[in-house]
Amino acid sequence: MTDLHWLGAAEAARAIAAREISPVELMQALLDRIGRLDPKLNIFIRLDGEAALAAARAAEAEIRAGRPRGPLHGVPVGIKDIFDVAGLPTTCHSKILIDNIAAADAVSVARLRQAGAIVMGKLSTHEFAVSGPSFDLPWPPARNPWNTDHHPGGSSSGSASGVAAGLFPMALGSDTGGSIRTPASACGIVGLKPTYGLVSRRGVFPLSFTLDHIGPMTRSVTDNALMLAVIAGHDPLDPGSAAAANGHYAAGLGRGVRGLRVGFVRRFHEIDMPAGPEATAALEHVARTLQAEGAEVRNIALPPLDEFAAVNRVIMSSEAWGIHGPWLRERPGDYGQLARRRLMAGAFLGAGDYVQAQRRRREMIASVEEAFREVDVLLCASSMDPACRMDKPAEIERTFPRQARTPFNVTGHPALAMMAGLSSGGLPLSVQFVARNFAEATLFQVARAWEQAAGTNRKHPPIG
Amino acid sequence: MDKATIELLARRAGLEKALADFPEDIVIAATQASGAAAKMKAPTDPRAEPWPPMRAGDGL
Repeated sequence: MTDLHWLGAAEAARAIAAREISPVELMQALLDRIGRLDPKLNIFIRLDGEAALAAARAAEAEIRAGRPRGPLHGVPVGIKDIFDVAGLPTTCHSKILIDNIAAADAVSVARLRQAGAIVMGKLSTHEFAVSGPSFDLPWPPARNPWNTDHHPGGSSSGSASGVAAGLFPMALGSDTGGSIRTPASACGIVGLKPTYGLVSRRGVFPLSFTLDHIGPMTRSVTDNALMLAVIAGHDPLDPGSAAAANGHYAAGLGRGVRGLRVGFVRRFHEIDMPAGPEATAALEHVARTLQAEGAEVRNIALPPLDEFAAVNRVIMSSEAWGIHGPWLRERPGDYGQLARRRLMAGAFLGAGDYVQAQRRRREMIASVEEAFREVDVLLCASSMDPACRMDKPAEIERTFPRQARTPFNVTGHPALAMMAGLSSGGLPLSVQFVARNFAEATLFQVARAWEQAAGTNRKHPPIG
Repeated sequence: MDKATIELLARRAGLEKALADFPEDIVIAATQASGAAAKMKAPTDPRAEPWPPMRAGDGL
C-alpha cells in the first residue's frame, strides 16, 4: 500500500470504510510526520492533535459498529486560520485577533465534519489573508516543501504547503485575489476557487465581501471534486450564497476532453506579463497534450491583466478598509508591516472609485461571458514564475503580482490551478483552467485529463 | 498624490496614530491606492450599473 501520508482523501475514505486501515493509524502517522516536518515548514498555528486522535478513535468505533457518517469518514483535514473552528482561536495569523476563540464552526467546517472529516488544527496564512510572507507576526510564515528556502505562495500558505508535504490530504482555503490558486501553484497541488457564492463564507473572517471565495485544496483532482461536493451548497444566512444546486462534480472525471473547446488565453503570459521560458513551455505542453487527447484548442482574447488587477485592488482595498478601519486607527502597530500597508490603502480611495470599479467589473464579466460563447473552458497561466526565495523581499514583491488569477475573482467564474510541470530548479510550474459559472464539473473533467496524462498527482516534494 | 494631500486624507480617515508611528507605510498605502485607481478604465456604457454582490436564487 502507498505510504499512509500520501493517501488521498478518496483513497483514505475508501480504505477506512473497507477497514483496510484504521483512522487512528492514519491520524497517528500524520501526527508523527507533522512532529518531524512542521518545525521546518511552519504549517500549524494551532495543532489540535489530542482532539484529532480522539475523533479518529470515535470514527473507528462508529465504522466498526456499522454507522458510517459520510464520504470523508475518518479523513483528516487542515483548516486555514481565518475559518472558525468551535473552541479554537481564529487568529488570522495576527496579533489583532490572538485571543479570538470561535464559538461555532464555519459552515464549510461543519459540512466537512458532518461528512466525517476530522479537523487536525489551524493553519498559517498571510495576515488577514492579504499581503505576503511576513516575519514580524506572532507566528513564522509557512515554507515551501519543494525547497524550504522558497515561499509557498499565499495567502492559504499553510493549507497548500501541508497538503503538498503529506501532512494532511486536504485543506480549506480562501481566495480573494488568488489566495487558493497562488499557493496551489507554488506547491504543485490542486486548488479550486469555485463560482462566487457556491460555498458559504459564513464563519470565515472576511477580506473583501464581493471577492471572497472558499474552496478545496488537495493533491488530486478527484479529491478536489469530492471535497467540493461536501462543502458546496446554499446557505440562506450568507447573503452572497447562490441558490445553485450542488452539482455532480465528479461526473466528468475520466470522461476525457474529446470534443471540448478550450480557449488558450496566451496574451496573459505572452504580452501582459511575459512569463519565463520554462513556464511558457509548460503551458504550451498542457495545450498540446489536451489537443492530443481530442480537445479543440484555439486562441481567445480577454481584457489585459492590469485592468483586472486594478479593479480587484480598488474593490478589495475599499471593502477591506470597511472591515479593518477601526483597528488601523487604534492599533496600527499590532499589524505586520505588509498587511498594514495593504489594508490602509482603502483609506485613500473614494466612494466614486469603488462604484466605478464595480461598474467596470460588470463589463469585465461580460467580456469573459462572451469568451464562453466560443469555448467551454479557458486555459491560461496561473503564476508567471516559480516561487522565489523567502529571504528576497524585493523578489517577492516583484513576482507576487505576476499572475493571472485576479480576473476570476473579479468575474466570479470558477478557476482551478494545478501543477504544469517542474522547473529546472525543482519547483512547481502551474496552469489554470476556468469554466462557466457553476460548471465546476467541466473544470474537473479537463483538469483530470491533464493530471492523468502528466501524472502530476504522483509528483511529491523531496521532503521527509 | 503629494505629501500634504496624503496627510490630509490620512487625518480625515482617522489614521493619526499610523501617521505618527508609520509615516512611510501611509505613503506606500496612498501610492498603492492612487496607482490602482489610475489604472482602472472608466465604464464605457454610462448606464452600466455596479455589479451586485450576488443575485441569489439563480446564481450569478
